[in-house]
Amino acid sequence: MNRLGRLAALRANALIGGLLVGLVLAMAVVSVAWTPYGPLAINLRQRLKPPSAAYWLGTDEFGRDVLSRVMAGAATSLTVAVLTVVVAVAIGALLGLLAGYLRGLVDRLLMVVSDALLAFPGILLALGLMVIIGANKYGIIVALGLAYAPSVLRVVRATVLSVRERDYVEASRVIGNSEWTTMRRHVLPNCVAPIVVLATSMVGWVILAESALSFLGLGVPPPAATWGNMLSSGRPFIESAPWLGIAPGLCIALSMLGINLLGDALRDWLDPRMERG
Amino acid sequence: MTRKLIAALAVALSLPAGAAVAQQDTLRLRLNADIRSTDPGLNRDANTDAVVLHMVEGLVAYREDASVAPMLAKSVEVSPDGRTYTFALRDGVSFHNGAPLTADDVLFAWKRYTTPANNWRCLPEVDGRGLTKVVDVAAKDAKTVVFTLEKPSALFLTLLARTDCGGTGIYHRASLDADGKWKEPVGTGPFKLAEWKRAQYIDLVRNDAYTALPGERDGHAGNKAPLVPKLRFVIIPDASAAKAALLSGGIDINPDIVNADIAEYKARKDLTLQTKQAMDIQAVLFQTRDPLLKDARLRRAIAMSLDVPQIVETITEGESKPSLSIIPVPSGFYGQAQAQMPKRDVAGAKKLLAEAGYKGETIKLLATKRYPSLFDFAVLTQAMAQEAGLRIEIEVLDWATLLDRYTKGDYQAMAFTYSSRLDPSLSFEMISGDKDKQPRKVWDNAEARELMTRSMEVTDKAQRQAIFDELEARFRADMPMIVLYSSVETSAARSNVQGYAGWALGQPRAWGVSLKPGS
Amino acid sequence: MHGPLGYVGKRLLWTLPTLLLVGFTVFVMVRLIPGDPALVILGDAATPDQIAGLKAQYGLDRPILVQFGLWLGRLAQGDLGVAITDGQPVLPLLWERFQVTAAIVFLAVGLAVLIAVPAGLLAAWKQNSGLDIAVVTTATLLLSIPSFWLGLILLLVFGLKLGWVPVIGYVPFGQSPTQALLYILLPVVTLTLIEAGVLTRMARASAIEVLRLEYVMHARAKGLRERRVLLRHVLPNAFAPTWTVIGLVLGNLLGGIAVLETVFTLPGLGRLLVDAIFARDYPVVQGCLLFTALIYVLVNLIVDLCYPLFDPRVAAS
Repeated sequence: MNRLGRLAALRANALIGGLLVGLVLAMAVVSVAWTPYGPLAINLRQRLKPPSAAYWLGTDEFGRDVLSRVMAGAATSLTVAVLTVVVAVAIGALLGLLAGYLRGLVDRLLMVVSDALLAFPGILLALGLMVIIGANKYGIIVALGLAYAPSVLRVVRATVLSVRERDYVEASRVIGNSEWTTMRRHVLPNCVAPIVVLATSMVGWVILAESALSFLGLGVPPPAATWGNMLSSGRPFIESAPWLGIAPGLCIALSMLGINLLGDALRDWLDPRMERG
Repeated sequence: MTRKLIAALAVALSLPAGAAVAQQDTLRLRLNADIRSTDPGLNRDANTDAVVLHMVEGLVAYREDASVAPMLAKSVEVSPDGRTYTFALRDGVSFHNGAPLTADDVLFAWKRYTTPANNWRCLPEVDGRGLTKVVDVAAKDAKTVVFTLEKPSALFLTLLARTDCGGTGIYHRASLDADGKWKEPVGTGPFKLAEWKRAQYIDLVRNDAYTALPGERDGHAGNKAPLVPKLRFVIIPDASAAKAALLSGGIDINPDIVNADIAEYKARKDLTLQTKQAMDIQAVLFQTRDPLLKDARLRRAIAMSLDVPQIVETITEGESKPSLSIIPVPSGFYGQAQAQMPKRDVAGAKKLLAEAGYKGETIKLLATKRYPSLFDFAVLTQAMAQEAGLRIEIEVLDWATLLDRYTKGDYQAMAFTYSSRLDPSLSFEMISGDKDKQPRKVWDNAEARELMTRSMEVTDKAQRQAIFDELEARFRADMPMIVLYSSVETSAARSNVQGYAGWALGQPRAWGVSLKPGS
Repeated sequence: MHGPLGYVGKRLLWTLPTLLLVGFTVFVMVRLIPGDPALVILGDAATPDQIAGLKAQYGLDRPILVQFGLWLGRLAQGDLGVAITDGQPVLPLLWERFQVTAAIVFLAVGLAVLIAVPAGLLAAWKQNSGLDIAVVTTATLLLSIPSFWLGLILLLVFGLKLGWVPVIGYVPFGQSPTQALLYILLPVVTLTLIEAGVLTRMARASAIEVLRLEYVMHARAKGLRERRVLLRHVLPNAFAPTWTVIGLVLGNLLGGIAVLETVFTLPGLGRLLVDAIFARDYPVVQGCLLFTALIYVLVNLIVDLCYPLFDPRVAAS
């Protein structure tokens, strides 16, 4: 494929991805100011109603409007997901760079801690942190952030290990650049692509992990809506009221698709090896 | 090659279907969690009690109506001073290993129950800390056992029958191994233990030597003739999986289905549903020592803001009766005073809140998802109270954490469920007490405690009723908690199951149940 | 120490501090979480002296460090203690449950790799084509369905509506391989679909990276057939990062697939751990986590040892 064609495809990816993500963001932002009904407002006379003109996405087992909850859920879910990924990437990337670059004892010790964390199930971490932070979304963010940080650490470390021996890194050293400059100019940019790929995937994982925690009886405390806890509480109604799961499920799928497309485009744009036109 | 594979696959796929068509001799019941042991009353929970009581029997047992009837005893004689209980054992009863039941076996089991290191759940009730103190147990002859109490207690026989005490089941010493450790129950019950496959199932087989009492099935007493050759308790924690298992014929009976499925199941011809009123209590508790909630007006205002009938209708699909009384609906003492249900009064609640000087402070309501009803009524409580201007925030905890907070009294408000109490005195005892000594007690009111103690000593029914009515009035004035209802449990059985019935205690029973062939 | 064996020995030695760290953290953490086994057993009717009595029976009344010392001492003799819930020795319990989980995980991840790597490679090769978009979209959709939904849908369709597979139960492989397969079919399919989504994206991303490297261009310029370029140059190099992710995935999943095990009522390691955490069954939680950590470390060791096979650059250094 020629450069122009590739660029066009890239733009298309970015466009579709951006549109989807923008839509979800817009939903989240609008929900702060306005939702068709109150996301917590119950109406016991309108329970488990299928989608209709009054309730575009139907109502749940308490007669709450699913559309309003999906909108409000967008805000909560995205906040939780993005903050969690930020926590995980911040910790993981920093330590991964250190481990991969310094190697030796630092690397060993960091790997000990990261392996210990990775072997730790998220659910125990979540339970433990909820005691310290409280059974709220911040507890979940810290718990999941810590749980995902080692994955970032490992991927970054592996990239650093494979990159640092490459010719151009060697060359940078040979021509007298300091370690710091070498790292910043040549090693770090190579880590961006895997981090972006991992981070975009992680946004989705976090949303799903939160829903799995809800399924196991933890997670962001309802009645505040998240896509995850809506999915898990809609599960008993999978046959009688499938819209309870389909609405948040579609939201998760579409936003993941959007984030991933955007992530791919971002990666290509960030890639040091790709010539820019 | 491909054809062979397909053939093999077809064989593999047709196997389970083929097995289902063959004459079914195993009755399969769902349990929502594994049992803890097969050791009656020692390491237990409700599921453990249910399974164990298929294998062991006590001297006495609960009837269908929660009164007590002789089981292994032929008769029980109480001395006029109420301190001596003489149990004459039934003739012709033998253990699973063929040994005949003797007074010596009763002494053996009793000694094991009352060894403090064994931590029998009901030990405090018989060692002087609680109900009474059993000062002597003796075998008058091979078929007669005499219990002597320090002081009389109207609830002694009830205690022996209690399922959470393991029904004080009598087992043979062959239940223990050479080191005195529990092996498996060698009891007198209608079923024997075959295999306990942890986290999967517990298999029991029919005790062919079982001699059933004449008459009808009656609670844990009465005619307990086992009709099915094999019995399997299948452990299925997830409600949706249990549903699929029931509908596909993987199990025959689900003793407690979720309310959301009731309507769907009712429409099906291959299932029969049964409802049974249980004697638990579902309630919102308040911490009366909380700086905010110590004001009874605030607690009453919350109660007034709730449409209790609507809440109960919603979460139990109209199966349970709303009730504000701590005395459960099926109780013989549930009268007019208990049945009173004031109308929802949002305006009144607002007025009361203003009087109490409430300024929109947030009240934390703890709940758990372990019991879906608790979470559901927490959500409804929050939403309804909001209409009166109350700000409630829900915090969801796991069950063990919730229990911990309950036991320490560390909460503002909490959605909670109490297990069955079969006597109103016990219902009040469960909530009423001195918070300094027992922080878990919800209602700390000295006068009420005195009334409660009196209700345990008085035996005349009308007199007791008067006391309970008086307690009811004080309970509602103080409003230390808002009782919502006692659950109605709905069981579903496949149509080839005959003779299954739930009952007030909720424990599933497989005796008297048979499988219709050819379906 | 030199040579590969020395390396393995050194790595194994380094797992000891990891395991000790896990062991200690878990030990303290489960005891700090509110609620204890005595409370869970006694429920709403617990009186203070009953709670104290049960705690004493389980040795929970001693100082935490003393308890930890005792546990370590027994651990050194290969004894993980007994479960509070049902009095079973923990070690055989772990092994039995692990077999269930391992069977499902290895099958599913193996199948997922077989699907994901070719799909990812193909998508990368035809980047931005219709095929690529289809692969990416499918993969994204797959990994955005929670396993408890996908599992339940499969259960309802194939277990209930069509009746092809049993809805609940488990048969060990030793007892009857065909029956065993039948019982774990749906969980394996569920897990395969989800993990294939994750791995496809990873494989595609790595392959795209590699396709842009100079030596691929070089190989193409040399006039090598496209097939040969892909299989000889792109696949091995693209597989290296994917292999790391496979290690992570395997390590994580082998520690238990609690949600799937709950949906399909399987007696696996994940359900054991979750149940034990909820029941505050300290010996089981400790044993589970130590075991999981060990497996995790071992899987990663194996992954790292295999790494040079796929990445010529690391092998050279």
